[in-house]
Amino acid sequence: MTTYAVEVVYRGIFQKRLSANICRGIVLAAHKEAKVGTAFGRYGDSPERNGIPAKFFAVVADTPLELEESLAKYEPKEVDVTICLDDTLCKGIESWAWYGLQSIGAITKPGGTLIVTSKQTTEALLEDIHQKDAPYNLAIIKGPASFSGLWVYKDDHTDVRILGALAKVCPGLVSLESYCKAIAEQWKSEAKLKSAQRSYEQTQLRPVEPAEGNHGALYSFDKPGWEEMKEALVISGIAPGTGFRGGEGGFQPGRSDVFKKFSTRTMRPVVNFETCTKCTLCWLQCPDSCFDVTPDGLYDANMEACCGCGVCADVCPVADCVTMVNEADFTDNSSQYEHYQRDKKGYLRWLGGKTATPKAESRSHGLHHWSQYQDEMVAAAKERSNDN
Amino acid sequence: MTTTQQLKPIRGVHNAPLEEFYTSGHRTCQGCESALTMKLMVKAAGPRTIVLGSTGCMYVANTTYYSTPWVVPWMHTQLGSSGSAATGTAAGLKALMRKQKIKDEPINVISFCGDGGGADMGLSGISASLTHPEYNHLVLMYDNESYANTDIQVSGSSPWGANSTFSPPGKEHRIMNTRWKKNTAAMLAVGHPMSRYLATGCGSYAVDLMNKVRKALAIGGPTFIHTLDPCPKGWDYDPKYSHELGMLAVETGLWVQWEIEDSKLRYSGPSRMIAVGRRKRKSIVDYLKRQGRFAHFKEEDIAYFQAQVDQIWEKWGTPGVSPMRLDVGGDRA
Amino acid sequence: MTISTDLPVVQREELISGSEAIARACALADVDVVTAYPIRPYDTVMQFLSKLIADGELKCEYIVAESEHSQFEIVKHASAVGARTFTGSSGVGWFYGMEALAVTAGLRLPVVALVGNRALDDPGAFGCEHNDALAVRDLGWMLNWVATGQEALDTALIAWRVAEDPRVFLPCALSADGAFLTHSQQIVNVPDKRLVERFLPPYNRGDLTLHPDNPITIAPQVNEDWLMEMRKQSDAAMRRARGVIIEAYKDFNRIFNRDLTPFVDEYMTEDAEVILVGMGTMAMPMRVAVRRMRAQGQKVGFLRLKWMRPFPVEDVQRVLSRAKAVGVIDRDYSFGSPFHGGVLYNEIRSALYDMNPRVPLVGFIAGLGGREITQPFATEMFGIAQQVAKTGKSDNETHWIGVRGKKA
Repeated sequence: MTTYAVEVVYRGIFQKRLSANICRGIVLAAHKEAKVGTAFGRYGDSPERNGIPAKFFAVVADTPLELEESLAKYEPKEVDVTICLDDTLCKGIESWAWYGLQSIGAITKPGGTLIVTSKQTTEALLEDIHQKDAPYNLAIIKGPASFSGLWVYKDDHTDVRILGALAKVCPGLVSLESYCKAIAEQWKSEAKLKSAQRSYEQTQLRPVEPAEGNHGALYSFDKPGWEEMKEALVISGIAPGTGFRGGEGGFQPGRSDVFKKFSTRTMRPVVNFETCTKCTLCWLQCPDSCFDVTPDGLYDANMEACCGCGVCADVCPVADCVTMVNEADFTDNSSQYEHYQRDKKGYLRWLGGKTATPKAESRSHGLHHWSQYQDEMVAAAKERSNDN
Repeated sequence: MTTTQQLKPIRGVHNAPLEEFYTSGHRTCQGCESALTMKLMVKAAGPRTIVLGSTGCMYVANTTYYSTPWVVPWMHTQLGSSGSAATGTAAGLKALMRKQKIKDEPINVISFCGDGGGADMGLSGISASLTHPEYNHLVLMYDNESYANTDIQVSGSSPWGANSTFSPPGKEHRIMNTRWKKNTAAMLAVGHPMSRYLATGCGSYAVDLMNKVRKALAIGGPTFIHTLDPCPKGWDYDPKYSHELGMLAVETGLWVQWEIEDSKLRYSGPSRMIAVGRRKRKSIVDYLKRQGRFAHFKEEDIAYFQAQVDQIWEKWGTPGVSPMRLDVGGDRA
Repeated sequence: MTISTDLPVVQREELISGSEAIARACALADVDVVTAYPIRPYDTVMQFLSKLIADGELKCEYIVAESEHSQFEIVKHASAVGARTFTGSSGVGWFYGMEALAVTAGLRLPVVALVGNRALDDPGAFGCEHNDALAVRDLGWMLNWVATGQEALDTALIAWRVAEDPRVFLPCALSADGAFLTHSQQIVNVPDKRLVERFLPPYNRGDLTLHPDNPITIAPQVNEDWLMEMRKQSDAAMRRARGVIIEAYKDFNRIFNRDLTPFVDEYMTEDAEVILVGMGTMAMPMRVAVRRMRAQGQKVGFLRLKWMRPFPVEDVQRVLSRAKAVGVIDRDYSFGSPFHGGVLYNEIRSALYDMNPRVPLVGFIAGLGGREITQPFATEMFGIAQQVAKTGKSDNETHWIGVRGKKA
């Protein structure tokens, strides 16, 4: 007499099919054990925007009645396993479905498990993951975040590697054997079966104590009642901009008080203010108006407005001026320009460190050319065979 | 509102206004070129502007209750209502100003819609709005080539053969969308003599687009601009390439940039160079192969696509704009 | 009641149709934006109004749209920037613009519209049925039925006053029976414009106005966290509307020296054992029938409902509780509804549910497609209701009056 719930936290569109494949895999595998289940994306997240955090769920029970009891039709209030498909989401999530920043695994049961696909170490991840009141387990599936687009799926086996790991961290849900049956039936691929089994063997559980984790503050948003809300569907517009930091010269756009883009970002631009030619392109072409214009005509990417698309780096005519760096490499959202003003040498050292090993590729958002994923799969297969 | 604001042309990127009137607060996709179009549109228009927005990405992703990206006043309008929203707002302001119920001053009225709201459902309303010479407003159609907000369904403005949730390639039919993209701006230009300014544009050419918006608002009467907005979600490409794909669309000759001012037609940017023969069109393959929505194309599909683009430039009476040719006793073309 | 006598309450008398009376009201109210699109029978108001505008009797923006959808969207947006608006339609035209009608109410915009009641296609028919206007009764539109040209003019002025009241900010549909009212001419007293200005203050949308001096965002998309609160706001506005309507009628009577009742018109109901209820122009033949039956010593009466939204439960209960039996005449249908009754029948049935004793009710469908409600039909309905009064029990059957073939 048991019900299991799993949530998959993913990047909208980039991982839409991946998260769906995982949850469908769970339910199909459960079916092999004559269990009943349902897989569903949270309606509140639709329509998905690429990069915006979203959720998919799988709920499995022994009987239809138990499934109903678990309110599987809507959003589970607590889950046995949280799967995080992009380690930059460990910093917290602000999805379409709510305002404010929620911690990753906010609804993971005490003693439950958080699975993260990442190239980082457990300790590095725990700097981002907000601390919880109850102990839980952390499991890392070694590898980059798997991103692709709406039409062309990047089949790098991440889906089956997650299923293999699930069999290890939550044996009560579905057995490895059943996952393998489902995988064989779904994908008819020996290689994917191997990937699932290898992932099962490699997955380790790391107990996490309540004290451990990011002690940084999360923010929330209080919703007023209908008497407090303005009539006729009206809200105030964004305040007009000011000079840079409210002072003379430059320009700083007004910013939304209620929605920040911290958790929409998987990469962020870092700027070399020394080589900047003030060509204006990063600022002018930014769809998110994220650049504050400094009094001396430089452009400071404001992290509360940047969603990390990378257009600025792409349009920048100077080779090493704007570089996109893995969001996981940052612990705060402070102003690069202010750092540069405080301490030019120190900033350039910091910049050098961030750009020395550009991790941009590990965060490449989807398709560059038709055959791209096949090419990458060949490389990935090599990497896997090197693993053992 | 008999007068319009005198908006001077922007000479080069360094003279672009610093002020933003569409800023953070929207939840559009990473690399959303339509968001860029919105930003440039109001940057060019300035603070004394009212914006009306039809249902679509630039409604749902921009303004989710309690957050908005708009510094200028903004109001939602229905999917097919961009034309009537512009007319109604301009008419309301004009009536109140004529009766001295509010201060008589030029206020820009801009109404935008996506390709679904403009090229499909809203066409008759836009057409009607362009027949009212006494109302000053701009209807801007941001074209990301699908019903992108509802989950990327094919529209009358989607390219031939493109993958969409309503036109997926399958075992029996590789090409489900067998329609060629509607030529909306030129269609409206031909049929609305009272509209003094119609143009096409693209956010990748920011200054050109901002100046077209300024001309459209300053010239008076109803005007129309059609922008092509690369969509990383529906076209399936890395968001950092939005700018490049906009340029490629123009450089391959697939998207033609022009303006018609008091019935004088001018090409702009690379389209001009192509039209006067000073520049060769890039091969359409460079454009198609970078988008997942065309990944199911076979060589013959690419060839067909290229042939259509060639025809637009080599066979049309007004290359890239209108197929109409004068037939004086037998077509000599 | 103090009556202002410094100005003539009747400036001039005119022989005009109900539609034309409402066009006059538009000029008196100094409407800012009018949109038109042709469909019979409401279009008569626009034919007359366009002439008034052409002759300079009303200065406004007059726009002939390319469809009802645009027709309603244009006034919706004009209303959002603070302009007083008027539009209208009939039958399927009203339905063609239904999306715009829904959002106008959601946006709390005080558009005033005339519905020249017309049967819905198919088949194409020009005659009167109430289903067109009734389609907006759940959306946040105030909805009333007028019976005479004079009432059309008066109620139009009251409609702007109530709709534009900041406590309400809801659109209002004036319903006028196609042909019977829209096309028939009667002597109408047109009041002095200066008196109208005393009754009807300028439309001021305050900090909800769309203007560069008030940079707001109107109607962002919402998820399940917000919509229910917004619906509650509309509900609260409609609840407040009742009091605002009563206020408006009181001022109207004072300023124009009249004695109108806000929600219902009673005709010989005081001591009536049987009361029939209906809306619109059917009141005329029904009053004649009441007089004739009274002459034969039969205690019957007629209640005309003037406002359908907000629904005047208190007034309906007060009047009908006195009767031994009540009959409801619907010039509409609601196929498959409880007891196969019309819309009004079921609304009144629900309004009477809590009454003790509960008066027996019988339903009639009559006058569909513009068919006349004749004296024989009227007496037939009273007869059936009198039977119910005698037995004290209703068979809960809805009777189709004047239909060829079986009546139920």
